[in-house]
Amino acid sequence: MKRLLKEPLVHFLLLGALIFGGYELLNHNGEPPPGRIVISQGQFTSMVENFTRTQQRPPTREEMENLIRAQVRGEVYYREALALGLDRDDAIIRRRLQQKMEFISDDIAAQAQPTDAELEAFLQAHPDKFRVDPQFTFRQLYLNPEKHGTNLAGDAAQLLAKLNQPGGDAGFAALGDPFMLDNTFTALPAGEISKQFGKEFTAKLGGLQTGHWEGPVESGFGAHLVCLSERTPARAPALAEVRDAVRREWIEDQRLAANDKFYQAMLKHYTVTIEPPAADTEKKPTAAK
Amino acid sequence: MKRNTRFPSAALTGLTAIGLALVSGGFSQFAVAQDEQQTVPTPKPTGPVKPDYSPYPEQHFPTRVYWGVAHVHTGYSFDSGMFGVTLTPDDLFKVARGGTVVTDNGQTFKQDRPLDWVSITDHAEYLGIADQIRAGSPALLADPQGKRWYDMSKESPQKGVEAAIEAVVSIKNGKPVFNSPEIAGEAWAHSLTAAEKWNEPGVFTTLHGFEWTSAPGAKNLHRTVIFRDGIDRVKQVLPFSAFDSPDPEQLWKYMDNYAKKTSGEVLAIPHNGNLSMGIMYNAETFDQKPMDRAYAEARISHEPLMEVTQIKGDSETHPYLSPNDEFADFERWDFDFDKMQKVPNSVLAGNYVRSALKLGLQLEDKLGVNPYQAGLIGGNDAHVGVVTVSEDNFFGEFANGLPSPDRWKAPLTMVHNDPKQGPLVSVWNESASGLGGVWATENTREGIWDALKRKEVYATTGDRPVVRLFAGWNFAPADLNRSDFAENGYAHGVPMGGNLNTAPVGKQPVFLVYAMRDPEGPNLDRIQVVKGWLGKDGQTQERIFDVAVSGGRKIGKDGVCKTLVGNTVDVANATYSNTIGAPVLSAYWKDPEFDAKQRAFYYVRVIQIPSPRWTAYDAKRFGVKMPDYVPMTITDRAYTSPVWYTP
Repeated sequence: MKRLLKEPLVHFLLLGALIFGGYELLNHNGEPPPGRIVISQGQFTSMVENFTRTQQRPPTREEMENLIRAQVRGEVYYREALALGLDRDDAIIRRRLQQKMEFISDDIAAQAQPTDAELEAFLQAHPDKFRVDPQFTFRQLYLNPEKHGTNLAGDAAQLLAKLNQPGGDAGFAALGDPFMLDNTFTALPAGEISKQFGKEFTAKLGGLQTGHWEGPVESGFGAHLVCLSERTPARAPALAEVRDAVRREWIEDQRLAANDKFYQAMLKHYTVTIEPPAADTEKKPTAAK
Repeated sequence: MKRNTRFPSAALTGLTAIGLALVSGGFSQFAVAQDEQQTVPTPKPTGPVKPDYSPYPEQHFPTRVYWGVAHVHTGYSFDSGMFGVTLTPDDLFKVARGGTVVTDNGQTFKQDRPLDWVSITDHAEYLGIADQIRAGSPALLADPQGKRWYDMSKESPQKGVEAAIEAVVSIKNGKPVFNSPEIAGEAWAHSLTAAEKWNEPGVFTTLHGFEWTSAPGAKNLHRTVIFRDGIDRVKQVLPFSAFDSPDPEQLWKYMDNYAKKTSGEVLAIPHNGNLSMGIMYNAETFDQKPMDRAYAEARISHEPLMEVTQIKGDSETHPYLSPNDEFADFERWDFDFDKMQKVPNSVLAGNYVRSALKLGLQLEDKLGVNPYQAGLIGGNDAHVGVVTVSEDNFFGEFANGLPSPDRWKAPLTMVHNDPKQGPLVSVWNESASGLGGVWATENTREGIWDALKRKEVYATTGDRPVVRLFAGWNFAPADLNRSDFAENGYAHGVPMGGNLNTAPVGKQPVFLVYAMRDPEGPNLDRIQVVKGWLGKDGQTQERIFDVAVSGGRKIGKDGVCKTLVGNTVDVANATYSNTIGAPVLSAYWKDPEFDAKQRAFYYVRVIQIPSPRWTAYDAKRFGVKMPDYVPMTITDRAYTSPVWYTP
């Protein structure tokens, strides 16, 4: 790049572009006089408000002068850069402009207020998204495999016999090994159980009988004895229970659809031709996958 | 519709350096009016006060860990965006809650498990650049055409899209009615709105945040800035950028002003000290003046945490600084972020958190305040629009690190010492790290933020082991086995992040420590206590004690277990087995060298058994062979916030 800037030819081209650009500006009909920069009332207010939102106080007179100077300087560079075509093929500018366009369709999607009927239809169409997890109410005690070693099965059987005697599980927590998770859980959703005990444990919980102590049930931590007292199967919720979630997903769905529709509509104004280099054609099928 | 984007590597990789250079150099300094210090109420004592019959009304202490990150980027960040990442905050929140997204190389991503909380911290720089306040909206409505489009957009999304297309076409035809950037919105407002949308108290917490990206001379001083409040307060400010000021003191003033104006609360977390060339954790101010008491106070009151691990390397310590620490050489990034050259040893102490904790003791002795009495947390810092911390599910730092057979050798920047040798830093150097474990009373903004503020948090390098720690003077060995372990711990001691003052005569501090492995992850090798203290000679020291080890191995009188745990990693198949190590370890430990006159800190490090590194999964899944210098196994770990002893 540095070497490029030293090339006399480049100097010549740049100079030419400047002169030509300036000439173009001068010859625009009906446009504001060339080279006129106006800091409008709106921009003025906006500068003050931006400063105030960042600094939590209005700018001083000196700061305001600096802001204006920076704004003018920025505007001059901006216009000259546009005139030179420096905005073209600039990754940052392209990305930023794309983002602004996306914000337009995002904002539109965000305006939408779904009716109950729309939400109900969305809920029906996506039952898996909103299914209420099965819930389990259970007590557990932990057996540390390091502590019990090869006696684990025997120790577990003995403890189970004790726990399943009438009144045998009073103070059950103290019968197990120290453990950092709770011993008693009420209506805990399966997803939460998986977060705390792992998926393996949750899966096994589904197969237990209610009303008495069973086990050992394996988890990532070792073995557990478990007394399941209640199990609520997974179910499809009524809209009232999950309205916020359905609304959020509906809006998200609308947002993606709006973005795509927006893009497709704009794309219609173009014909797209792709000319891969010959050497690249072999790779093309995988790349397009 | 899947996207396929190919990145010219030269342009792409050069941009990292540019991104950093953009925010270095000189900026205008704002003379901000002095405000009184923001005071944050200290959390109430959590022990039971007066017993009710039901034990639960008074149970205000945390009973579980909530997992999340306070540091991750979407396509709104200038560096993510220009690398071709288009995922938005909506996408990231969706995936953090357990959903699926298609990343920018067309691959579907889902986390192995949902997170409990997240703070998206897109760079302030350029984020708010188009923000012009909503003054444009009335202007738009005043125009008949604008009004019609507005009404259409209210009517239905389909109508809205038509309106937008009409508007865009009208501009192209030279009738720029719809040219106000205001109606297009801007990134900050969009980000805040998205965070509100996905926040669900009790289920999933989103904290509003941004990153302040100061890097004078490419020396990293970056901070994430995390708000406690909802959009009604946070929207009253714009993110503070390194363009506003590269000096952390000015950032703190901005934070004070926010608190004063909104009665809200906000904290900052420095990260990547490892890339700071010694200036993140030193004894000086931004202007290289010696730190004074006021500066130390300002720092610790605004920055209660330090991010100790993330994709761009681990910042706990360095083998040069901790020659006796056999686990010190971990995911090491000890090069500068400008020339990508090895940094001189002389700057290392300012780069790492263990040295910062030590320096803090020295400064406290001198100034009366410890500027580095900060807890430890893990961040992620991925710039690809998802949180990616698992070895078997790693999606890279930037778009060039998204899964592909050749990504491991893609240069992180084009800067290198010797063109023949290729890049000094490549994607394989990236680490699938880290996470923040938060001991909170509830999964809400208040619950999570308050735990961050009181430092009851810890860092992991990606997995989710549960680690709990209490320190006090009077714990007995049997307290380790109590069924009311936590209640007793809070009643008679302090948790991680806490402080022990003035030792009772003849007492040593006692530590009760528990660690349970990630239920879906590798077993544990050992629990260690890392101690740092200030000696009589004014010099700081450090020492590591093994306090619990798996498999009946012996810990010597010197506090070290010399028997290694072993290694079950099958690199070729990218598997390991939990036949070594232990699922649960615990320790009752007294400091044998305690001197009641010496300032000290203690933090716990939990070492997991070795497991396959993400590079091993790449080698297996893509069938590629990587050179020997690319590590294939990793010894992941957790670092708790310290407990301090102050004489």
